[in-house]
Parts: sequence; structure tokens; C-alpha cells
Amino acid sequence: MNITEIREKLDKKEISIEELYEKTKEHAKKSQEKLNAFVTITEKCEHIESNSPLNGIPYSLKDNISTKGILTTGSSNILKNYVPIYDSTVYKKLKESGAVLIGKTVLDELAMGGSGVTGHTGIVKNPWDQSRIAGGSSAGSAVSVSEGIVPFSIGSDTGDSVRKPASYCGVVGFKPTYGRISRFGLFPFASSLDHIGIFAKNVQDVALVTDIVKGFDEHDMTTLPDEEIKYIDEIKKEMKGKTLFYIKEIIESASTEESKEVIKIFKEQITKLKDNGIKIEEVSFNKQLLESLYPTYFIISCAEATSNNSNLTGFIFGNREKGNTPKEVMINTRTNGFSEMIKRRFIIGSYILERENQEKLFLNAKRVRRIVVEKLNELFKKYDGLILPAGSIAPKINTNEEADRLGEDYLILENHLVMGNFGGYPSITMPMGYVKNMPVGINLTCAAKEDALCLNIASQIEKIIGIKDNKKGDEKDV
Amino acid sequence: MLEKEKLNKYAENLEFKINEKEYETLQNEFDILLKQVEIISKIEGIKDYEPLDFPFPLENSYLREDKTNMKISREDALKNASETKNNCISVPKVVE
Repeated sequence: MNITEIREKLDKKEISIEELYEKTKEHAKKSQEKLNAFVTITEKCEHIESNSPLNGIPYSLKDNISTKGILTTGSSNILKNYVPIYDSTVYKKLKESGAVLIGKTVLDELAMGGSGVTGHTGIVKNPWDQSRIAGGSSAGSAVSVSEGIVPFSIGSDTGDSVRKPASYCGVVGFKPTYGRISRFGLFPFASSLDHIGIFAKNVQDVALVTDIVKGFDEHDMTTLPDEEIKYIDEIKKEMKGKTLFYIKEIIESASTEESKEVIKIFKEQITKLKDNGIKIEEVSFNKQLLESLYPTYFIISCAEATSNNSNLTGFIFGNREKGNTPKEVMINTRTNGFSEMIKRRFIIGSYILERENQEKLFLNAKRVRRIVVEKLNELFKKYDGLILPAGSIAPKINTNEEADRLGEDYLILENHLVMGNFGGYPSITMPMGYVKNMPVGINLTCAAKEDALCLNIASQIEKIIGIKDNKKGDEKDV
Repeated sequence: MLEKEKLNKYAENLEFKINEKEYETLQNEFDILLKQVEIISKIEGIKDYEPLDFPFPLENSYLREDKTNMKISREDALKNASETKNNCISVPKVVE
């Protein structure tokens, strides 16, 4: 059920907040063996009464977002016993709005990865086909909404970590403009790319939750000033004459049978959108730049991550290992606390940040970031938004391959969503169809700070495509 | 290819150890990364651009008031430390 449907049941007193919590908790627990979406499921209905539309609504939170007194692990062994001593701003706002936390969701270790298979508590499985990945890093969040356990969830998105799993799991995933939602209390991965994002069953619910959690925060100097608007009202405004574009080279890069099927669906939906009055044009983009997107993301994010995670020593917090000297304690803690994938990323980050490599790697990557952002900003002067497939279908789980290894292929179709993080653009993924009975998503990205426009156009697209409140079948009625 | 000694040095500086299998994956990953870096370097006019640090210029350029805006108690500060003594975090002896 979506937020509106649950709200109605609560308002009509067909179910109490306590009863709803208990039912949701049971559903979460029952799903664990099958899907493994949660690191922690709460034991008590912690609820603050409020007049907000989220009063009494259950939700889940990615396990890299601080919750005072509740285990928050970042899905890493090094933090497996860490209990934050303060609340993140996003959690505080949701608590004050009366929303009820059901659990903390599994992510790829420290949010570095796109598969949902590297968390310290095991692989997260896709509700649509348990032999496939859920996508990541916000894997458990996407699954908890897709499975119908909660109507919304909070995740984080550094490369595509909300928008890609949303596509793989058949739900809506929205990453607002950089700084629209405070990152205070989010474990930092790559601070210049990190965003908080929202999963829900439909665009309206995403707008509703964004209204509650957005806003300036004195604890996060990158937050934007408050806007005196409500997205829930903005999405209802009639907007005509909007023009979108898609990038020819990304569409043409589909090489597998499955991705070609995705493109076919995308083209059908483009025709449908055009028939319904949305102007859509094809635009050409430098292929070399598109092929540089993932390496650029990889270089910037590894460098920032290496620096951000240097505080994980095991002394002040975290899972400290034994040793005869402080250095030995730190080495044992970090050797056993980080998985292979994390260690690889830190070594690459160190290499990138070394003085002799900075110019060629780190600074050149940041230059590519500028070229891409300037080109997109120019296009956003002419067009209202960029529309593209979010990627192909969720791949099969492969336990033989090293997780999230850098690949030789450029895979533009799979990696283009990082452009949304380079420019801090509002970007939303919605379901657009099915390939091999798996959901596939369409993504809309707009100019920075145009969150209202993005949600408004997304709402129109959702109506025209006609897939809303995607149901997988196992969903239980409240 | 980056030599094992070099990779070991990075791991040492990062205060962790890596095993044989990890070296292998890492060396492969470095090979791919360095090839991709070459492609980036060849982008026309790349040197004419200033590196972009953040998505857009940040609006909050002021300094906050020089007042405490967040405090944690001693009890909270020690809560997550696995070893404490006399209200302090304890570690193995630093000076021999």
C-alpha cells in the first residue's frame, strides 16, 4: 500500500498506529530469510504524535544514517557494534513528523558498491526474482518498499545508489538537488557527490516525504536555503509545453539482448509521452566524455572515500581488535574490519591522492566533471529535463566474482546516472515496463534546484506510462 | 603493472594488510584504471578547464557564530569505545 492508502486506514481508525507497527514488523521479520533487507528490525513502536501526513506511517532507513541509541553499522564489520550518540537530521525530522521506524536496511559496505551483495550481514535479494541482485548501494531500502513492507524508505545516492536499485526493484527513487536534504548524520562516502534520497511506491509519496525532510540545516553547511513551496502542491499544477531530451549515444550503447529490450520499451514510452503532449528531442553527446563518466566517478569517489574513512580506527568507536601497540590495534582492526572491496578502493584512493598522481588522475577527473556539468547546464537552458532508461535489468547474483570490481567495459547505459551526482541535479527513476518479468525504470534529471519541476514532470510521466504503485504480488494488505 | 611492493606500501600507510588474492584483483583493477585514465587525459582541451570540486557554488559561505552548537556528554563520548579507564579511552602503552 502507498502512504495515502495507509493514511486513510489510520484516519478512519481501521487500524491503530501500534497495530500497524506490529503487522509491519512481523512482515519485515518474515521477509528476512527470503530477502535479507534489514540489519536491524526495531522492537518497539517509537512514535511522537504529530499533525503531519506521515503521522504513524512506518518506514525504513538505510544503515549508514545515524539513529541515536539504534545500531548503525554501515553494513561493515568495522562498525558492527556502533551505536550512534546523536540523530541524523533526516531521522530527527521523520521522528518529529510522527513517522515510525521499522528498521535499518542493508547496504553495500560503507555505501561503496552497486550490487547489494557486499554488506556484512549477507546478500540482499531482489523480490521480483531472488536469484537476482537488488542493486545498491541502498539495496535493503529498495527491497523494503518493493516487497510492500513499508511505503517509503530513506537511502543515500553517491553514483546512482537510490535510482538504480529503484529501477531494479520496480519502485520510485528520487535524489533531490545536492543540499536539498541535510547530510548531517549520514556516514560520508564521497562528500562532493553524496545525497540523501527517497524510495516510495509513487511520485506523489516521494514528493510528500521530500517536503518533510528537506530544508536548511545549520549542521550541514552545504544545505540549500529553504524554499517556501511544497512539492506535494507543485506536482498537481498543470504544466504544458515541456521539452525533454535524451542522449543518442547512450541509447545506441545497448549491446546485450536484455538491454536492447530495455531500449525498445524506452522508445515505446517516448512515443507515448510525445503523443500526450510532451516534446522530446534526440541530442548528441561526446562519446569520449560518456565513456569517461564511470572512471571519473571512480577516481573522485575513491579519493574522497579514502580520506573520509580514515577515522575508522577502532579506538573511539567501532569494532576494536586486540594488539600490543596502538598501531597493531589499528592494523588488526582495519584488516579484519574492511572487506577486500573496501581495501581495494582505499588503496586506489591513496594512489590517486599521491602528489605525483594528483594532476593526471584526481584533477583531470574533476576537469571531466566540469566539462560534463557545463554541457548539461547548457542543455538545461534549452530543455526542461533529460530522459533516459535507468539501466538494464537486475543481473543474476554471482558469488564467484569479486564484488564491485572495476570493469573493462565502459557500459555507458549502466553508468550514466552518475551525471546526476556530478551536477547535483534532481533526478528520479520510475518504473516504465518489464523485461523477462523484471521491472525496468525510466529516469528523469532536471537542472540543479529545479526539484519542483522534476517532480511535476515525473508525475505527468507516471500518469502517461500508467505504472504506479507497482505490485510484486507478495504484498500483504494492512 | 603496479608492483606488489608499491601496493603493499599503500596498504601499510592505510594501516591494514592485504593478502595474495587481494593483490591479484588489485593489480588487475589498477591496469584497467590506468588505461581509462589515459582516455581521460586525451579529452580535447581538458587542461583548459578548472577542476570542479562541488556540483555548483555553495550558497552558505558565511561562518557560523562562534558558539557551541552541539555538545556530547562524557558518558556518550565513551559509549562506543571498547576499552575505557578512569573516564578515558584506554589504548595499549604508546611510549615504551
